[in-house]
Amino acid sequence: MTNTRHYEGNPQKNSPALGATLAYLGVNGLLALLHGSQGCSSFIRLQLSRHYKEPIPLNSTALLEDSVIFGGWEHLKKGIAVAADKYKPQIIGVMSTGLTETFGDDMVSALSSLRSERPDLDDLPVVLASTPDYIGSMQEGYQRTVEALITTLAEHPTKTSEQPVSNSGAYSIEDHDLTIALLPGCHLTPGDVDELKEIIRQFGFRPITIPDLSISLDGHAELEAAPVVQGGTLLEDFRRLANAKACLSFGLSMEKSGEILKRTYEIPHFNFPSLTGLNVTDAFVLTLAKISGKPIPEKLLRQRSRLLDTLADYHDQLGGLKIAIALEMDLLYSLASCLVEVGSEIMVALAASQAGIHKLSLPIPIGVGDLETLEERAGKSTLIIANSNGRQAAGLLKLPHLRAGLPVFDRAGYPQKCWIGYEGTQQFLFDTLNSVS
Amino acid sequence: MFTNLTKLDLKDKQCMSDAGSPKLCMKALPGEGAERSCAYDGARVVLMPITDVAHLVHGPIACAGNSWDNRGARSSGSQLFRRGLTTDIMENDVIYGGEKKLKESILEIALRHNPKAIFVYATCVSSLIGDDVDKICKEAEVELTIPVIAVNCPGFLGDKNIGNRIAGEVLFDRVIGTAEGPNEKIPLSINLIGEYNIAGDIWGVIPDLKNLGITLQTAITGDAKFDDIRSAHKASLNVLICSKSLTNLVRKMEISYGIPFMEGSFYGIHDTSETLVNIAKALGDPDLLERTLVYVRKKEDETRKIIAGYKTLLENKQAILFTGGVKTWSMVSTLAELGINILAGGTQNSTPEDFQRMKELMDPSAQIIEDTSSAGFLKIIAEKKPDLIVAGGKTKYLAHKTRTPFLDINHGRKLPYAGYQGMVTFAETLTRTVLSPVWGLLKQEFPPKESEQDD
Repeated sequence: MTNTRHYEGNPQKNSPALGATLAYLGVNGLLALLHGSQGCSSFIRLQLSRHYKEPIPLNSTALLEDSVIFGGWEHLKKGIAVAADKYKPQIIGVMSTGLTETFGDDMVSALSSLRSERPDLDDLPVVLASTPDYIGSMQEGYQRTVEALITTLAEHPTKTSEQPVSNSGAYSIEDHDLTIALLPGCHLTPGDVDELKEIIRQFGFRPITIPDLSISLDGHAELEAAPVVQGGTLLEDFRRLANAKACLSFGLSMEKSGEILKRTYEIPHFNFPSLTGLNVTDAFVLTLAKISGKPIPEKLLRQRSRLLDTLADYHDQLGGLKIAIALEMDLLYSLASCLVEVGSEIMVALAASQAGIHKLSLPIPIGVGDLETLEERAGKSTLIIANSNGRQAAGLLKLPHLRAGLPVFDRAGYPQKCWIGYEGTQQFLFDTLNSVS
Repeated sequence: MFTNLTKLDLKDKQCMSDAGSPKLCMKALPGEGAERSCAYDGARVVLMPITDVAHLVHGPIACAGNSWDNRGARSSGSQLFRRGLTTDIMENDVIYGGEKKLKESILEIALRHNPKAIFVYATCVSSLIGDDVDKICKEAEVELTIPVIAVNCPGFLGDKNIGNRIAGEVLFDRVIGTAEGPNEKIPLSINLIGEYNIAGDIWGVIPDLKNLGITLQTAITGDAKFDDIRSAHKASLNVLICSKSLTNLVRKMEISYGIPFMEGSFYGIHDTSETLVNIAKALGDPDLLERTLVYVRKKEDETRKIIAGYKTLLENKQAILFTGGVKTWSMVSTLAELGINILAGGTQNSTPEDFQRMKELMDPSAQIIEDTSSAGFLKIIAEKKPDLIVAGGKTKYLAHKTRTPFLDINHGRKLPYAGYQGMVTFAETLTRTVLSPVWGLLKQEFPPKESEQDD
């Protein structure tokens, strides 16, 4: 069920560099620098700021014709130096674009040349993420950037402590350090990440979240505005990863980052492709109980019980839903599999890009497609789930439209929404039902 | 195949670093944080409001995916222009070239969407891999019955202004004057140039033109139909709204079709009246001029009466103004009309003349904002502590962090501000923003100091 057209009509994809920007926005004191022409950063800023209703600190190397001929190497060096001098960020996060990848700019050698020219910048960490516009979507850019953040900023472990001693299970953790590394995918909103940390804390864990959008893009009124990221993962936290006793990654796209941590620090890693739905939340909670050696907190059990009651109360309406869904793969899978679990029927499932498409399954095959394809195939559905750009399809087909993904600019509160865990799943089902009634 | 920039009159303006103007033709420095856009965006801004044509972006997903249907230009008819269409260049296309995919895409779009014409935008990557967009468009045109028009506007050509000019060239070369039938001028008819019908602006002006007996041939390009632009050469006068970005277009139309041009603005009572009167003068019809003078006086009185209440509430407020192109000087007088003083003003896309004009209108003590990055913007807010900020959407959320009332006057807004009716809407919206109780809540100290808690 792949696209038979040569063009994309009403794309649901965002650029990989937008995903990179998103990942960088979850790191405290970071200034993101996009290696490309000015429009690339301008569009990303606009798209993200109309979704999050927040200023988006993003800088550009502002390439012009001369760099197309001679390469953008010098521009990149200059860009890093100017950004460092002018804004004094704690970290600079660079991402490439279609333009710079096409002419093959070597970012690593540019950085090393800058390092030799500017020894005073030696202590400034610079992360380089390769995010060509022509490979994948936001999810791929975010994924590559989280990997770059981890490999660049995490310190190599100094083996001072023993490996965790196992007594009751394979992954029990010594009480003296309960640090857990959390790797949320870009399908999770700041509201979701907040809930994730809260659930973890209920088991007595101290989370290090990479990146942490729940404290940088959660839409809080800051005391002072600044041109670099405020909130987000602290640089020290990257360096404390060696002490983490386990790593939990969320979304299939985050699996590789989790594996990197596992290999580097020899810590167990668990990947959860979805946290929306009863069974997936059960699996998550049971894992936490197992690695903490603690019973499941009363609060979570209560939330689970409420979710069960909701399922009973609305099972008939949920069973009547016929869903057409088009989203980035991780979010598509999370929401669609939850709906399948409660008896809804998936009529059309269109992922933004190929990533993960063969690893996750739904009762109907997942295709790759744009919103024009959604418009062509959603006719027999009762509900469209897509980002705000799906409104043209919904309007033409006269179908209700539940906003999800990015961008959502015509509904209030999406970034703060929580659709994970027992309570979040309940909220997702309420929102779904309310959108069709 | 790249656009020949020397053809675009880009060299005819000297940098004006003296006389208080910032260096406007200076290139953005890598890493400095200039929030400017690119030539592709500039071309898009001008051409994409044409409602009944398909706009196909030949590039990777970044160019179209992050930005389609995001400018708030409104249409009274076809919605085809809002469709995001791109060839979505992938890795294989980068290696083997994207010409074949482009050709197929054009043919498929013509079949599926039945457009009046197709505009094909070249981007950084498609230009870099050497795809010949001109050639493919010509080939496709042979197979189709509609115009397929190449727009060579890769982002790396420069700033937004350059893209605006490229779009003007394309309209002049490929669209204007191509209508069939007689070519005589339509009496008392005008084109609005650089008016994109953001939030329906144009609909606030058309009733006034109608009342005066002036025909709007077309706007370039707000709520425009392709066929109307083809006949744009039949108008008697061009009125340049977005001050300089399409100067090349109106100059060429003057030379080729003998259409004189004038500048104008429909923001604010004063500028709206002045523009209407100047149009009447330029059209050279004494009767029209007399009608117009009476009409604008009546409209001014009516409008001033309606906004008087708002003016009392806004008088002596201090503002910072930071906009795109023309609106800077026009906004200065609009705000002045509401009794608002300007502490500092700046813009990203205006020409030196715009700056001079703005400076003349502002109080001599008002500062020109030179550093247009976020950092510069924050610094000036911290220094000046304005009562309100009037700017484009890019700075909206940054301004909110400073807990200062903010009004978006750019393409992100939902309400039209043009013409007399627009002035009322503007005054109403501005008052609501400035007097909103939320700013007080935002500024409250919490937890309160102990002495206050005891009360």
